[in-house]
Amino acid sequence: MKSTQYSEKVLDHFRNPRNVGTIENADGYGKVGNPVCGDIMEMFLQIGKNEHGEDIIEDIKFRTFGCGSAVATSSMTTEMAKGLTLDEAYKISRNDVADELEGLPPIKMHCSNLAADALKAAIDNYREGANPEVEAVSSCKITDIEDIKGLEDFLGKGVYEEVQDLNEFKEKRVLIIDRGDKSLELALKLTKYTGRVVVLTSAKNTPGSEEIKQQLKRSDVKILYESELFEVQGTNEIEKVKIHDHDHDHDEDEEYELYVDAVII
Amino acid sequence: MKVYLDYQAAKPVDTRVVDAMVPYFNDKFANPASLHKPGDNATEILQDSRKIIADFINAPQPSSIVFTSGATESNNLALIGAALKNERKGNHIIISEIEHISIRNISKYLERNGFKVSRIPVDQYGMVKLEKLKHLITDETILISISTASNEVGTLQPIKEISDIALDHQILFHTDALASESVIPIDVQKTPIDLITLSSNDIYGPKGVGALYLKKGVRVNPIIIGGGQEKGMRSGSENISGIVGFSKAAEIMKNEMEDEAQYLERLRDRLIKGVLESIPNSYLNGHPTKRLPNNAHFRFDYIEGESLILSLKDQNIAAATGSACSSKTLEPSHTLIAMGLLHEEAHGSLLFSLGRYTKENEIEKTLEVLPDIVKRLRLLSPLTSQELLNYYKEIEKTNYGG
Repeated sequence: MKSTQYSEKVLDHFRNPRNVGTIENADGYGKVGNPVCGDIMEMFLQIGKNEHGEDIIEDIKFRTFGCGSAVATSSMTTEMAKGLTLDEAYKISRNDVADELEGLPPIKMHCSNLAADALKAAIDNYREGANPEVEAVSSCKITDIEDIKGLEDFLGKGVYEEVQDLNEFKEKRVLIIDRGDKSLELALKLTKYTGRVVVLTSAKNTPGSEEIKQQLKRSDVKILYESELFEVQGTNEIEKVKIHDHDHDHDEDEEYELYVDAVII
Repeated sequence: MKVYLDYQAAKPVDTRVVDAMVPYFNDKFANPASLHKPGDNATEILQDSRKIIADFINAPQPSSIVFTSGATESNNLALIGAALKNERKGNHIIISEIEHISIRNISKYLERNGFKVSRIPVDQYGMVKLEKLKHLITDETILISISTASNEVGTLQPIKEISDIALDHQILFHTDALASESVIPIDVQKTPIDLITLSSNDIYGPKGVGALYLKKGVRVNPIIIGGGQEKGMRSGSENISGIVGFSKAAEIMKNEMEDEAQYLERLRDRLIKGVLESIPNSYLNGHPTKRLPNNAHFRFDYIEGESLILSLKDQNIAAATGSACSSKTLEPSHTLIAMGLLHEEAHGSLLFSLGRYTKENEIEKTLEVLPDIVKRLRLLSPLTSQELLNYYKEIEKTNYGG
């Protein structure tokens, strides 16, 4: 079965998703997935009471980044959950959602069918009374340079401690570690020399002073938030780096590789 | 109106080719191995076809062409055949990080069977780093295999330079020409490549037929053993109707390539310009100028490629994506990752490949609907930046207020 062989019902929910959007000051908020595997879902809950005084889902909204089934399962989950008591809604499983949608391609059952999990996360968030506006703040810190594996071996072979001549970076893929405004200014300057400038920061939002923040937002600089560089690899010269991404489901960290030509520390 | 912009995946067979093939299914069905008159006729058409394919790449000897069942088989014959033939000289093979899946998986197979494989990294445009190639060559290196162009992002590889390096080091050089076959001529007298993979469908011939070119003096071990057809290089009764179609396609292609490539380049540039101008946070992947004239490969921040394809499908537009969600393995495109893109960037990729029958109004239709599709998916996505959401709001205001 092709990974995009969807039922008419899936396609309908993809084309006309129900309950898209956000709820300001939501009573419950849940987020699952990560961009590496290609699906992220957010659920926003507004909680009310029924005639028995039980908590019910009065309103529910979602936003999703992902493939057709990721959008459709999110939409279907919100439709199923709306009006239910929290206990009822908590019981909605991935399989229930898939069944309501008249099935999903087998390969999509796991990765793109996380909406029920996002709903559970939002209900947990409401019940545990945690501030719904704040996602779990990660505890990442700026790594000590000594902790980056292989870094010393590539000094002068793609790893730069200081930069003299910007021309050296012409057309190169440059990764710059955020060490404050100076490093960020350098990133901005480098965009005139190459189309690929990536800044790695432990911060959660755009780093730098207000002025630099604005400039970064307008620039082509790609920013990796809540990230940590932990290994440099290559033969003779640097070829790729390994990055830890802390910006995920509370306790689950992600590691991935990024191909670069130069790292400025 | 139907729009087809996925020529990289499959091309229609030219009706002139179909017409040329028809007699060879029933009227002229004989086996060239037979000694009777119809058999002689089959031998003759096989020879003529071989000469036409040789001419297509300006090869002086028709005998340098071995017909196969397509590009995958040609790649198998080139890599496995050359590896086995040269086992005693060395066991090291070099490919690039962005080879087509057939080359990558053949290399893995060779690795499992005792060969060593190095993969040359590429730059941000997907072009192999020649310096790295020189570093990777050892005394054990017996073969370099690099495609003429990336079938995905369309970047043209420095084939002449690679072939010079290979020649200097007395190493065999194989190239899979599939992606560029219909738009960029190959002249083996100017670029002394040892082994070339050719595909019939990629020049608007039938599927299921292809060829491997072997430079005079280059030997590989056969991988399909049997009745000794194709001078023992590829056993099995010849697919005469397919070979006739392939050669007719090559003949047409040779005559029409120059004009066709210019025409496609003009349409491609219109598409690239239109997309980049009308869609914020959109980027062209691959080299800005050194790229296939029929390839436009984009990425869009904050959205995912399969959703794009589904939305385009609803508008009767056929395109392709490097997103993980649309692949069998759910892995994003290895080419985009090797170029230095992040996973979420690779997910948002979209490939339009143009071909012989692409019309200007197909490009216009695509440009008409794509911005709204991208916008709709961005408004759904939790990743979309506040700046971009504000931008879309502004646009809406102007449209209604204007």
